[in-house]
Amino acid sequence: MIYIELFLTFAMIGFTSFGGMSMIPLINQQMVSHNWMSIGEVADIVAIAEMTPGPLGLNCATFAGTRAAGTLGAAAASLGVLAPTLTTTLLVGMFMARFKQSHIMGDVLYGIRPVCIGMITAVILQQIMENYAGQVLGISPGALCSGLVAAYLLIVRKWEVPPVIGISALIGLLLCR
Amino acid sequence: MKNNRSQRTWDIFVTFLRFGCFTFGGGWSIVAQIQKEYVEKKKWITGEELLDFTSVGRSVPGLMIGNASLLFGYHCAGVPGALAALAGICLPPFLLMIGITFIYGLVRDNLYVARAMTGVRAAVAPIIFSALLKLFRPAMKDALCYVIAAAALMLCLFTGLSNVLIVLLGALAGILIMEVKTRRDLH
Repeated sequence: MIYIELFLTFAMIGFTSFGGMSMIPLINQQMVSHNWMSIGEVADIVAIAEMTPGPLGLNCATFAGTRAAGTLGAAAASLGVLAPTLTTTLLVGMFMARFKQSHIMGDVLYGIRPVCIGMITAVILQQIMENYAGQVLGISPGALCSGLVAAYLLIVRKWEVPPVIGISALIGLLLCR
Repeated sequence: MKNNRSQRTWDIFVTFLRFGCFTFGGGWSIVAQIQKEYVEKKKWITGEELLDFTSVGRSVPGLMIGNASLLFGYHCAGVPGALAALAGICLPPFLLMIGITFIYGLVRDNLYVARAMTGVRAAVAPIIFSALLKLFRPAMKDALCYVIAAAALMLCLFTGLSNVLIVLLGALAGILIMEVKTRRDLH
């Protein structure tokens, strides 16, 4: 059943991710392999999630759940992504003092954080291959232009994400076909 | 006391509903809002306790904002408080996102929307990259971390291995490496 599948998939994503962008590689792989979204749609959801309030992971789960199976699907996916918070985090809250003394999570994160760096790099490469493809020597000039402007505004000028998305939409409207 | 707890639970739910409408830009805006409301104004918790909730919230699986909210709610009003904080912070973005997704489904095939989305999709790689830059330094504690990151990248690019499995391998590597390091330090 699709609701159980959505719940289990997002619970798995939740239990192996530590918030924010570290979720994107897991979401990307699961959405594409389940045929719930294309790589391009994953890019849409990152952009939309960045422009709306709320945790990125929850926004992604709601979007994917709604696309795959309507409002009930959204509820199933969101409960899934919240499953670790409702179980492990609650337990940690009950034994907070003991948890803070333990070094196990520090050890685990020592290995997981670099893994996330590697996985996120792979997603960036995949996004570039997919979303910059076009007719001129295999590249879309409009998309390339939008990407370069966005990179400049974000990295050099240190802009916040939402206005950069606005600018890139405008470039797309003018230059992309 | 009991009455006090249910009052607190209600207070948390209503306040976190409000926070939930304004959690733009990752977890830090919500931490700032809890700081203002519950550390400075209502004085339910201290700044250090809030720091604990956020750092622990970040080091356990799941959404950092959800984790920190739940830990705060549990500390102030037990399990009902925990659920109230989590429900409050999640409901506004959940409902808003369902609406946006339906609108997305309706307009995505429109010519102009499709053109604008092509531009936006192209901006997503730099958006993720700029987030990566912020994550990079805290993640890379020593030379071994670069090896782990490179290995993860290769596994993603050249094998069909599930990302879930790659994360679990990373956790295992972390435990083993730290174990070896502590043993070496003891000798």
